[in-house]
Amino acid sequence: MYRYLASRLAGMLAVLAIVAVIVFVLTRAASGDPISVLLGDQATAEDIARVQKDYGLDKPLPVQFAYWVREVLQGNLGQSIFLQRPVTQALWERAEPTTLLALMAVGLAALIGIPCGIVSAVYRGRAVDQVFTGVAMLGASIPSFWFGIVLIQLFAVSLGWFPASGYGAPGAPLAERLHALVLPASVLGILNSALIIRFTRASMLDVLGEDYVRTARSKGLPESSVVLKHALRNALVPIVTVLGLTVALMIGGAVVTETVFGLPGVGNLVVNAVLRRDYPVIQGALLVIAAIYVLINFSIDLLYVAVDPRVKL
Amino acid sequence: MPVAHQPPRRSFLLRPAALGLAALAFGGIQPALAQAPRAYATLAMVAEPQTLDPMASTADLVGTIMQHVYEPLYTFDAKWNVVPMLAETLPKVSADGKSYSITLRKGVMLHSGRELNADDVVASLQRWMDTSPRGKAVGKELDSIKAKGPLGVEIVLKNPYAPLAAQLALPSGMAAIMAKESIAQPLKDFVGTGPYKFKERRPDQYVLLTRFDKYSARKEPANGYGGRREALIEELRFVPVPNANTRVEGSLAGQYDYADLLPVEALSRLEKSGGKTVPILTPSFGFPYLVLNTKEGVAANQAIRQAIQIAIGPGEMLAAGFGDTRFFIAEGNHFPKGSPYYSTAGADKYNERNAAKAKAAAEKAGYKGEPIRVLTSRQYDFHYNMALLMAEQLKRAGFKPELNVVDWATLVQRRNDSKLWDIYITHSGQFPEPMLSPPQLGDGAPGWWGTPTKQEALAAFNREADPVKRGALWGKVQQIVYDEVPYINVGKFNGLSAKSPALDNYVPATWPFFWNARIK
Repeated sequence: MYRYLASRLAGMLAVLAIVAVIVFVLTRAASGDPISVLLGDQATAEDIARVQKDYGLDKPLPVQFAYWVREVLQGNLGQSIFLQRPVTQALWERAEPTTLLALMAVGLAALIGIPCGIVSAVYRGRAVDQVFTGVAMLGASIPSFWFGIVLIQLFAVSLGWFPASGYGAPGAPLAERLHALVLPASVLGILNSALIIRFTRASMLDVLGEDYVRTARSKGLPESSVVLKHALRNALVPIVTVLGLTVALMIGGAVVTETVFGLPGVGNLVVNAVLRRDYPVIQGALLVIAAIYVLINFSIDLLYVAVDPRVKL
Repeated sequence: MPVAHQPPRRSFLLRPAALGLAALAFGGIQPALAQAPRAYATLAMVAEPQTLDPMASTADLVGTIMQHVYEPLYTFDAKWNVVPMLAETLPKVSADGKSYSITLRKGVMLHSGRELNADDVVASLQRWMDTSPRGKAVGKELDSIKAKGPLGVEIVLKNPYAPLAAQLALPSGMAAIMAKESIAQPLKDFVGTGPYKFKERRPDQYVLLTRFDKYSARKEPANGYGGRREALIEELRFVPVPNANTRVEGSLAGQYDYADLLPVEALSRLEKSGGKTVPILTPSFGFPYLVLNTKEGVAANQAIRQAIQIAIGPGEMLAAGFGDTRFFIAEGNHFPKGSPYYSTAGADKYNERNAAKAKAAAEKAGYKGEPIRVLTSRQYDFHYNMALLMAEQLKRAGFKPELNVVDWATLVQRRNDSKLWDIYITHSGQFPEPMLSPPQLGDGAPGWWGTPTKQEALAAFNREADPVKRGALWGKVQQIVYDEVPYINVGKFNGLSAKSPALDNYVPATWPFFWNARIK
């Protein structure tokens, strides 16, 4: 167990080191320059060179990289060029909407996806299965920006139930902030439930064909107990994996939805940073997202133990 | 394949699934909006501001927000005349046009509670000339700037420079007057004299400005940016909503009191909103322009630039960029009718779109089929759409255009390297004074236009202080622009924005401002 944990930890650090190098090289290899964007349309080459110097962007790349690594090792992700605050603070401010959005969306996806997937598997080939499978295909194919605009038109413009965009007024209480997240979470939840339906269905079908399910039935157990207790628990491992990865994907990956709904989340931060070439933010945010990914993967592995007693670390 | 089994009772399974779906239908919580007079206005802007330092960037968004916090010495009235703001009156200019003496209004309070004095002004303008791109250009004309007593400032120029007052008045890249002790690099405290003071910024969420109770307003009635300013709304909330469709939907939902720069296609929906939002059209809001590289590459040959000008049809390009004729004007005069700089000099060369003539001119100029590298971006749809159409027009005239579509951050970097492009596409606000835009009229801007004819015509223009004579002198400059083709002014476009019916007494402006506006 401890050996396993130690080796996983070493692996995680190696992954992060590789991510750090790749992110640094890629941001600098891309053309474009933050200072030209910062200074606006009328800046001359001379102005740009001067401000680049202020930010240390005139130094050779290996030197810039060494500075950055030294800062990161001290737990400091650097200072944003545009936001006038440290990258850690900028990320921290965005952690709440992104985390709540991811949890609400995955919760919704699970709430729709798992029951529908079970029903699809149990009624395999019947009309209800066809409908759910069809809806899942549709969900996987709808672009989120379009679905987002449709929900805005319906629930914000026509019905006025939810705000069209934003994350509540300044200083809004948690209830208002959650209220602002309902539409974006619905977009992500409904679209991602497609994947959960497919996975649950496939996984349940595998398990329902097993001998022990037949045994359970032959013992005369009620069908609800057969499906929910004996089959579902064994089918859960791949579903948990997909749910975990979906959470990870939404941290930094819900970019389109965050933009459409004007949410101040991590995805929005990264996209804006890329468009403006805010190097410290791109580097810091991607490093943190990679770390979260690695941690969630690790937690999923630990969860297997809880879900499936046969798995030993 | 597992055998399909048919257990007797399965309807229990449908219940949780139905419950899951039912959970979707919740909602119906009415937001606590629409109560009696609100103390704030929600203003949906196109992006998160690059910075809040009004001198550091010439981006319009920065000027739009920070003009509520900082004030310049002068500003513009509704007819684009320069009028005093923090200065008591217009400057007294010496007979040789080189010395400007400025007297500040008495009793103007800074947000820190101290009274504004001449030292603040000198320190602010010094910072502006050191750091702001526009200020640096002005700084080159300057001999000295000194405080004369607590409220007097004297500016001495090396040569007469008529655009000085207009340069000091422009809200973008603003010559903002700030408390001397707040001056720092980068700026941390935003201590100005405006009707609003800075309260809080949360990037990608909001910038909050709140009423400054000790604001000292001018006595004259409000006129454009000038005259009496009064903060009637207690708090201004500038919210970045980068997605243009979301700004439209938010306006239709009644969520914003003001939504900036909406896509022109949205006009008919806004008009049919049933009173939830009111569209605002700002005529001659700005102009797209093509910059040609006069330093290197195929366009460095003036005769080839002229052939390119003959080949393209700005009328068609504007139609591609803005669609509806309500949104653009295809005309060769760089300044609209009614402006002192209205002139048709050289305008016969505008919108020729003559492929055969262009082809002959290009051949005569020695064009041998080199690629014409057009640098453009999709940051603004109209840039890209105009570029596509221009490429077709160039092809028709025998040119070999090569579209280089990059993102905005790349474009603003690459255009500084004369080896990388022949034409790039951008746009500017329509400003009242020619020297304010495009930057190609100054020195060192991409395109690197610097012929003796240009220098001579602009020197004459900048030396002349009499507005009437300056109008005629601008005509000469415009003629040279058409002759030498350092840039091509494509035409004028109108701006579309929207306001809520609750926002009262809002006056449309190039840099929208919200003093004197109220919430009903």
